[in-house]
Amino acid sequence: MKKIIYYLSILSAVLTSCEKEIDINLPEDEIKLVVEGKIEQNQPPLVILTKTTPFFAPTDLNSLQSLFVKDAIVTVSNGTNSVQLQEICTSNLPDSLLPAIAELIGVSLANLQSFGFCLYTTLNPSIFGEVGKTYTLNIQAENKIITSTTKIPQLVLPNKFWYKDAPGFTDFGYVWFELTDPPQLGNAYRVFTQRKGKDNRFIPVFGSVFDDQFINNLTFQGFLQRGQEPNSTAADDLAETSEYYAQGDTIIIKFTTIDQRHFNFWNTFEIAAFNNGNPFASPATILTNIEGGLGIWGGYGVSYDTLVAVDL
Amino acid sequence: MKQFWLISLMITVFVLNVDFVVAQNYTISGTIKDATTNEIAVGTTVYVKETLQGTSTNEKGFFSITLPKGTYTLVISYIGYKEIEIPVELNKNIKINEKIEPTAITKEAFEIVGEKENINTTEAEMSSVKLEMEKVKTLPAIFGEIDILKTIQLLPGVQTAGEGNSGFYVRGGGPDQNLVLLDGATVYNASHLFGFFSVFNADAINDVKLYKGAMPAEFGGRLSSVLDISMNDGDYKKYKVDGGIGVISSRLTVQGPIKKDTASFIFSARRTYAGDLAQPFVSDSSAFKGSNYYFYDLNGKINYKISSKDKISLSGYFGRDVFVFKNSDDGFELETPWGNAIASLRWNHIYNEKLFADFTAAFTNYSFEVIAKQEQFGFRLFSGITDWNLKADFNYLPNILHNIKFGAAYTFHKFTPNNAEVNSDDVEFNTGEVIINYANEVALYVSDDWDISEKFKLHAGLRYTGYQHIGPFKRFNNDELGNPIDTIVYDKGETVKYYQGLEPRITTRYQFNSSSSVKASFSQNYQYIHLASLASVSLPTDAWLPSTDVTKPQFSTQYVLGYFKNLAKNKWESSVEIYYKEMKNQIEYKDGALPQDNSGNNVDNSLTFGKGWSYGAEFFIKKRVGKFNGWIGYTLAWTKRQFDEINEGKTFFARYDRRHDASVVFNYDISKRLVLGGTWVYATGNALTLPVSRFIIEGQVVNEYGDRNAFRMDAFHRLDVALTLKGKENKKFQSSWNFSIYNLYNRKNPYFIYFANEGNVFDGSLDLQAKQVSLFGIIPAVAWNFKF
Repeated sequence: MKKIIYYLSILSAVLTSCEKEIDINLPEDEIKLVVEGKIEQNQPPLVILTKTTPFFAPTDLNSLQSLFVKDAIVTVSNGTNSVQLQEICTSNLPDSLLPAIAELIGVSLANLQSFGFCLYTTLNPSIFGEVGKTYTLNIQAENKIITSTTKIPQLVLPNKFWYKDAPGFTDFGYVWFELTDPPQLGNAYRVFTQRKGKDNRFIPVFGSVFDDQFINNLTFQGFLQRGQEPNSTAADDLAETSEYYAQGDTIIIKFTTIDQRHFNFWNTFEIAAFNNGNPFASPATILTNIEGGLGIWGGYGVSYDTLVAVDL
Repeated sequence: MKQFWLISLMITVFVLNVDFVVAQNYTISGTIKDATTNEIAVGTTVYVKETLQGTSTNEKGFFSITLPKGTYTLVISYIGYKEIEIPVELNKNIKINEKIEPTAITKEAFEIVGEKENINTTEAEMSSVKLEMEKVKTLPAIFGEIDILKTIQLLPGVQTAGEGNSGFYVRGGGPDQNLVLLDGATVYNASHLFGFFSVFNADAINDVKLYKGAMPAEFGGRLSSVLDISMNDGDYKKYKVDGGIGVISSRLTVQGPIKKDTASFIFSARRTYAGDLAQPFVSDSSAFKGSNYYFYDLNGKINYKISSKDKISLSGYFGRDVFVFKNSDDGFELETPWGNAIASLRWNHIYNEKLFADFTAAFTNYSFEVIAKQEQFGFRLFSGITDWNLKADFNYLPNILHNIKFGAAYTFHKFTPNNAEVNSDDVEFNTGEVIINYANEVALYVSDDWDISEKFKLHAGLRYTGYQHIGPFKRFNNDELGNPIDTIVYDKGETVKYYQGLEPRITTRYQFNSSSSVKASFSQNYQYIHLASLASVSLPTDAWLPSTDVTKPQFSTQYVLGYFKNLAKNKWESSVEIYYKEMKNQIEYKDGALPQDNSGNNVDNSLTFGKGWSYGAEFFIKKRVGKFNGWIGYTLAWTKRQFDEINEGKTFFARYDRRHDASVVFNYDISKRLVLGGTWVYATGNALTLPVSRFIIEGQVVNEYGDRNAFRMDAFHRLDVALTLKGKENKKFQSSWNFSIYNLYNRKNPYFIYFANEGNVFDGSLDLQAKQVSLFGIIPAVAWNFKF
């Protein structure tokens, strides 16, 4: 669907003749708190707390880092245990810990080193993620109260993964999967991949989420279109074949189950990113599951598979 | 059914009463035709020299004047034609059928739509405009494509949907609130290429009338306007061929007698040059080979005069847009055909000199389809609307003081809102059952144009409308995940919901003197269909939706007050109108709604409801005749909307709210062969929603939008000119060149604004910019037109 909207809008873009940068005075909006939080099974909860900033505020590193909200009281509870998370700023940590933190947050080590993150987490295993449990997030910061809940849904394992050359190509293609969706409506999925030696982290595939609205209780095949780092300038991300995996890649697939509101967030998030610059699209509203703020508090039921890309 | 009785009672009372009062008078009636083409002459003035009482011929070329016994002189006059005087001894009912001859031989008589010279001040009708096709054709047009819908946008109170767009908004009403009629049949989506061209081929059009308020009771079903377009009848005397070759398209029209003076035909076709509009796809990269875009229109009409009292005509329109997109890089293929198919059969019957009737049977279909393929996946999205319509309209002219109209209409609607089909090889995805909605709509109306005294004229009309949403239908009630909680099933023919209402339409005129008058109007309208748009502008993907148990019919109330003044012996017309309009039960999609949400669900479950209102003042001054003619229009207006679930319940401006909207339109006959046309438009910038702040998630910049439509783009203004050079007079073959320049001073008008972000958030290279995109710079165009 996204693709169709995109190609339809191309038609209009063809007629577009001229574009220029302009200065705009945008009204100031109230500052809102933004949550980027997740919890996976057997992993500690992780919350990055930031705030919105006026659109044309400076974008240098110092300004962006000043958006981290410090000294917040962040608690996560699973119905039995309630644990307050600790604030960690990576600039205060020894270098030896950084690779593990980068893996946990889902950013590349280089970005972590240059940027310096502040986040809330814990080493208390009683609040580590468990499949089937619901997690409530409570935050008090800057005189605001934020709440949210998310669930780590039961795992749904794809039947198989394989690689196939795209028509007209001999060394590039999509990663394919076959999935049997469970009987009940309301299953949703998010998929990431990491090419060994090429990607520094698990990158969400293009159109990374789908739910079972159309595929409930069906066994069906789908393909994964390779995602890339935001605004990437890497050579293979600029190439004509940027949406494909290459033959010979070793690909780790992170296939996750998510709950419906978690799905709604990423789905509208990706549509908003996709529609930016489309004259016909209405401003997309990103559906959040955060009460009192913006962003996402999302549980993931995670499974991993490794595939060596060879067209059989 | 009380309303049915009320209406039939009213009709009876009107008819009986009036007949009784004038029993001892006599009637002069007849038909006026054009001597050169034998076509009826609509709007010819017929008046009595002695008493100065008068009328004008109706759309059948018919007039009727009832007077006491006596001796009179009847004057028949029409602009550009020789005036005729006929002495009459009135002691019985008299029939007069006259033919009028043009004063200038060069005039193409059948293309002229005349009107009474002081119609502006004397008629009770207000908020209406008639366009003369001949003048439309010498105005500049983008790519040289003459387009009546774009000329309509130059009138005060009518706003364009966007640059180059043929969509229009009337007095703050949405694009679905305009009733567009082609020979009596509804046209649901009147544009090609995402609105850049209208479906109306100017060569096939006879005349165009727009009502932007104070709608007469014979029209209904829409809140904001009626655009009544009639096609050319075709020439009853001789064969003719007209054509044109332009930058974007070519046109050809053939017309002539099937049987001289009795039956005629006209057939008109237009097609864009295949590939031209798609050229950028194909040339840029061979990966897009096979991509194409084109559209075409076919218009046809056949007329047959069975007798002096009966005429039958059959009109048809068929048009399609086809967009094919292929990308061999990823094996993606897309095809989207969409368009209208319209047919109407009309029978005009004259019972006697006082009673006329029009019977119409019409069919209209608009359909849109997307077929996409990639790898083993297939995707099909389709939507549409089909109407079958029957109408009977009567016009009763009991005497010179009354013009009574009454009639009935029935429409069967079939709605197909967005339905999707997806498959992966043989696995058919669960996209739910195909949803089709059915509804019956009926209307009964009566109206009278009544000259109460010399000063006072009243147009009083009443329209009753009833609407029945019928089964088969399923009302889904789902939980957040889309699991059905309960489903109500209606069988075929079972009533889901019945709505009805009375729509009063009242306009009064008080005439100060022959050149100035004041008019006031009050009207209420119901509209039982809705257009739901997920995009910020109207697109062919927008789906027409019925009123249901959840979606209530749209309802509007409009008040208009106007002052009308003619100057310099009716050479100049001017008017000021102020209006206030309220619209209830307006629809919008809820935040975050997606087109696929109606799989296994009702579309209206993702709608939210609110209200709208608009008010403003329209100023209009027009020089009707002379070497230099044209008009200046200016509108000062406000258009607001309020929805409980949108913008936190706060009132917001509609996207097409324009504080100022002005247009200057002129035609100048430099010589007999050379006509200069020009238009200049100015409009306050579109209201739009922009991000006010941003945040970062997963390394991506995300925009947080501010209040809806709280930002304004820069004002829009543009000057276009056109020069029409007619070939030397030659009886057999005539041709003309049309040179036009769009956007003469190359103004970079804002089309939309977006925010680009580049660089990496984490290494400090992030860069944010606001970018304004302009659509069309200066565009010269040339077209060659011919006829023989």
